[in-house]
Amino acid sequence: MPHMWWVVAASLVVGLVAAYLIWTAGRVERLQGRAELAARALDAHLLRRAAAAAVLAERRFGVELYAAARIALDAPPDEREAAENDLTRQLRGVQLDPADPDCGAVIAASRRLALSRQVHTDLVRDARSARSRPLVRLLRMGRGREWPRYFDIDDPTLTVPADVPAN
Amino acid sequence: MRIGIVCPYSFDVPGGVQNHVMDLAEALIALGHEVSVLAPADEDSPLPAYVVSAGRAVPLPYNGSVARIAFGPVSTARVRRWITNGDFDVLHVHEPLTLSLSLLAVLSARGPVVATFHTAMTRSRVLAAAQGVLQIVLERITARIAVSALARKVQVEHMDGGAVEIPNGVAVAKFADAEPLPGWPGECTPGTGGTLGFLGRFTEARKGFPVLRDAFVELAATRPELRLLVAGPGDRDDLYDRFPAALRERVTFLGLVSEQDKARMLRSVHLYVAPNTGGESFGMILTEALAAGTTVVASDLDAFRRVLDGGRAGRLFPTGDPAGLRDALADLLDDPAGRAELSACGDQVVANFDWPVVARRVLEVYAAAIEATDGRVIDQEWVGLG
Repeated sequence: MPHMWWVVAASLVVGLVAAYLIWTAGRVERLQGRAELAARALDAHLLRRAAAAAVLAERRFGVELYAAARIALDAPPDEREAAENDLTRQLRGVQLDPADPDCGAVIAASRRLALSRQVHTDLVRDARSARSRPLVRLLRMGRGREWPRYFDIDDPTLTVPADVPAN
Repeated sequence: MRIGIVCPYSFDVPGGVQNHVMDLAEALIALGHEVSVLAPADEDSPLPAYVVSAGRAVPLPYNGSVARIAFGPVSTARVRRWITNGDFDVLHVHEPLTLSLSLLAVLSARGPVVATFHTAMTRSRVLAAAQGVLQIVLERITARIAVSALARKVQVEHMDGGAVEIPNGVAVAKFADAEPLPGWPGECTPGTGGTLGFLGRFTEARKGFPVLRDAFVELAATRPELRLLVAGPGDRDDLYDRFPAALRERVTFLGLVSEQDKARMLRSVHLYVAPNTGGESFGMILTEALAAGTTVVASDLDAFRRVLDGGRAGRLFPTGDPAGLRDALADLLDDPAGRAELSACGDQVVANFDWPVVARRVLEVYAAAIEATDGRVIDQEWVGLG
């Protein structure tokens, strides 16, 4: 019965396509979820840094730094990147003493923020590239979720990492 | 924190990645974390308590060297079992793009995965392979570490992603306190004496041994009592055949040395020579020589120039140029004050590479990866920082 082969071949193809689609949907979902979690962690680190900067400003560097920290804490989403960059600039403008605990807290928070931003950028890139694949767009996979956004700020690292030789 | 580290290369043969993994694991354990290392190893080879064997490795030519790796269904099963039993907070794989345990671990893992890239492969078969396959592997990695600026550049330009640059560490105390081999390094006065050191596979072209041989042969003709101490894998007769008969007694071959003997060997020479002609992404051996307090003469490769702080912490000579090397050697052997100055600067440079310092930075990356996986932000105390 030659037509049996057609049935077998067709179901095999259907099975493979279905498996691929399920796998792709899972992949999109996973990457999307990860980018969202990274965004939450990034948000927490931004708040931590601003809070640490506010504490430091109250004790040492005064109004301008305090204002920049407050603005960063309160900024609405569309102004947040600019506000955070402003805070980075303010922090770079003051002389931080790593031995002082409040300064140390700001330096450490900035370092953790830099890592968190790096990871977030990578994961957003992965999620966006998965979601912009033609098949994914055609089948509108991941449509229930927001399109992942980059958070585009300058490198917030404050001190030159110790391993980079100063030239 | 419970940390699982995967090393792609066998611990039966010493190598840069293997040493990195062992030192990192020991530094993390010293900071109070639980660490398990999965690596290929022969059944009967002695392993540190924190290493789990994933079975025998097979030799495979890779990136100009011979790598011993494990890959296949049996290895996959072992990797899976190790991950399940380990219940790790974070999985740290090394060189995940080689066909190895690391690749298997990345593909089997759920949760936070940190990957360290050691080599600066600009044109490897892996990168030339279908971008889609590469993407599937890279997607499973949460955070990437590059051990050198060059390795990081490859990440950014060829793999479309960033990486945190954290250099290789060096166990400074282990090298600084090592006892020189008996009778070494001997006398070194203007015009006579002095000992040169070379460590590595002298048969491998990119290690640049012929450059050092030519410089040594020329310099030895005018400088009595100049000696050369060679350590690394290889055949004794093969090495001696490379030198004129009259000079053979001035060349000493130690063969493959243990980590302890490596430190002693570095303490036993006046000048450590790194004549590599390329393919080095970091120059681990240079930081080790600096930690041992030995003056370094190295080819002017990007990676070496960075470690040596642009030439302040060690002398650079034009890559692949025996005459340039000979002049640098002759100059430094006659100049104890110049050697001391370079070594003093070397001490400062190497303090930034001390393992406890480096391990704390790696822990921060672990924290960032865990945070990006479950969204909670980790307390400094839990990670054991600061």
